[in-house]
Amino acid sequence: MDNDVRPRRWTESIADGHGSGFDKKEIRPYVETTSQASQPSKWKGPTYYGRSQLKAAPFNNYVVGGYIFLAGLSGGGAIVSTLAEAVRGERAYGVGRRGRYVATLAPTIGALLLIWDLHTPQRFYNMWRIAKGTSPMSIGTWILTAFIPSSMLGAGAQVLADVLPGAGWLKPVARWGSAPSAITGAGLSVYTASLLAATSTPYWAAAPRSLAVRFGASSLVSGSASLVIGERDPATRDALNLILGGALAVELAATIAHHHEVKKKGVAEVLKTRWGRIERFGVEGLGILLPIGLHAASHLVSDRKGKAALSDLAAIFALAGSATLRVAALAVGEESARRPDISFRFSQPENLPG
Amino acid sequence: MTMVEFDVSPRARDYTQSTLKGLIPDESELTAGCLIEPGKSYGFFTDTTVCIGCKACEVACKEWNNLPADEVGLTGHSYDNTGALSSNTWRHVAFVEKKQADRAAAETGYGVRENEQAAFQSGWLMMSDVCKHCHHAPCMEACPTGALFKTEFDTVVVQQDICNGCGYCVPACPFGVVDVSTTDGKAHKCTLCYDRLKGGLEPACAKSCPTDSIQFGELSDLHARAKVRVEELHARGVTTAYTYGAPGDPGSTGDMQYLNAFFLLTDRPEAYNLPAAPTRPSNRVKPALAAGLMAVAALALGAVAAFAGAPRHGQ
Repeated sequence: MDNDVRPRRWTESIADGHGSGFDKKEIRPYVETTSQASQPSKWKGPTYYGRSQLKAAPFNNYVVGGYIFLAGLSGGGAIVSTLAEAVRGERAYGVGRRGRYVATLAPTIGALLLIWDLHTPQRFYNMWRIAKGTSPMSIGTWILTAFIPSSMLGAGAQVLADVLPGAGWLKPVARWGSAPSAITGAGLSVYTASLLAATSTPYWAAAPRSLAVRFGASSLVSGSASLVIGERDPATRDALNLILGGALAVELAATIAHHHEVKKKGVAEVLKTRWGRIERFGVEGLGILLPIGLHAASHLVSDRKGKAALSDLAAIFALAGSATLRVAALAVGEESARRPDISFRFSQPENLPG
Repeated sequence: MTMVEFDVSPRARDYTQSTLKGLIPDESELTAGCLIEPGKSYGFFTDTTVCIGCKACEVACKEWNNLPADEVGLTGHSYDNTGALSSNTWRHVAFVEKKQADRAAAETGYGVRENEQAAFQSGWLMMSDVCKHCHHAPCMEACPTGALFKTEFDTVVVQQDICNGCGYCVPACPFGVVDVSTTDGKAHKCTLCYDRLKGGLEPACAKSCPTDSIQFGELSDLHARAKVRVEELHARGVTTAYTYGAPGDPGSTGDMQYLNAFFLLTDRPEAYNLPAAPTRPSNRVKPALAAGLMAVAALALGAVAAFAGAPRHGQ
């Protein structure tokens, strides 16, 4: 009998071969191996009747994903249209005007989607009970709250300027009123990624930074794409397309980085599921690479109408890709929480920070 | 004949009658050997080596908290027909029947018991799972309404009159404990019998546990008791015994610090459906926000350059 009475941690008892119930061959690699490269891609140790230790978020992915898309669209639209007016002045009035309308989507439809997804929607106002830095949902509540006055003032003045004869004096009100929403719009564009990252759901928690860059870039993709459609001034249109292309390139780079990090943390298996494929081929392929390709193709077309049609098509795909990214990211995350081969692989000590 | 000495509070002699007129003041002193006072840290120490799987804790919890039954049926998973913690189930007894290694099982068929086992409950493990009442509770840190809060007993409770069922606490929990009820649309989990603690009563599960597998008490006392128990088990040859959730243990990893409800286990955490190395989710808020905002700022600068570079006049 072992006379050593020192307390032993489970890691020690496995490492030195003690431990009755352990199959050394099966378990040792998970504890001892430090090199990431030799880690298996999923958990192969014991599970409790194939159950995950986690619970998946009780979100309706289309509703919450729809909100995240609209938040990004409104935030990104506010940023790009405000900058357009600030730099190009009167020539970008059309962009500014459409940007103010786009920015109303998150406070109106977006907020309704959020309330709809609550399981006790009649208590939505409790979101304003507190402000809490550890909860991105609370941070987001206050960002959205701060976004509302400026975006609604801008859009309200814009509606009056558009419909009332002789209300041209309201144009500066709309322009200056909506300007602060470019600042809050930045928060609105990215806090949703922080909301997902600050959970225990493996796919969301695996790589907070690259996920947030993906979401931020995708917000500017959708914002600029929504402004491209219908823009008549060719110079402004080219500038918007340039911004859209840049944001798509950043999103592509962040997507590659995100998937690489997710793989390093042992969560990549979830990308082989149905929603994982949608995330890879639908978002990366149809939502990013195809619009980039269409832009490249539009440079080869000399006919101005053809150019505009191609860039409109690119913008539509980019918008669809941005929306799909949000729904797919939610669905892939929930799948990663449901699967013990992924959830236990993710919660191994080598994934600890620091 | 030898007299068995029990560690009984002398106050027990004050209550010899079978029917009492009312509550015994500070009853926990008699049943758990500790006074319940606001400002101190309380928790559970669940020693799985003495759990007999009677499920008295599950029943006591359901009775005291008026919780409805979950699915009534058989799972085929040993004696566990509860499955997991849920909005209606705040104690869950896990039954682990150790089988031969998967390689051998693939040849001989699953469900074959280990025929070479070390002594002492190495073949059949039972554990009463519960909310861990984490020191840095991820559910509470995630809660946007403040419905989840830390009580004066250092436990974590959902205020049912405030929760609006956003469900964000559910993915925040590293242990899959909190659950949103489809019946009333609010988040529910173990309250560590907050109402009983206020009345000086030991939590229902701990009081009902016939083997003292579930021990309620002041956290520092429980840590000391657990340490002694692990040493005692090691001395008796159960070298696999370790605590999960005490400071420095598996379960207290990634800035979780410690869990107010902690466990003594004899197999890998995963065998009991526990994560080996959970992390504190709120530590990911700032990195994500900072990286995202920096990307947006960089793209905004690019946008300024794009607009500035576009021709101002003509085509």
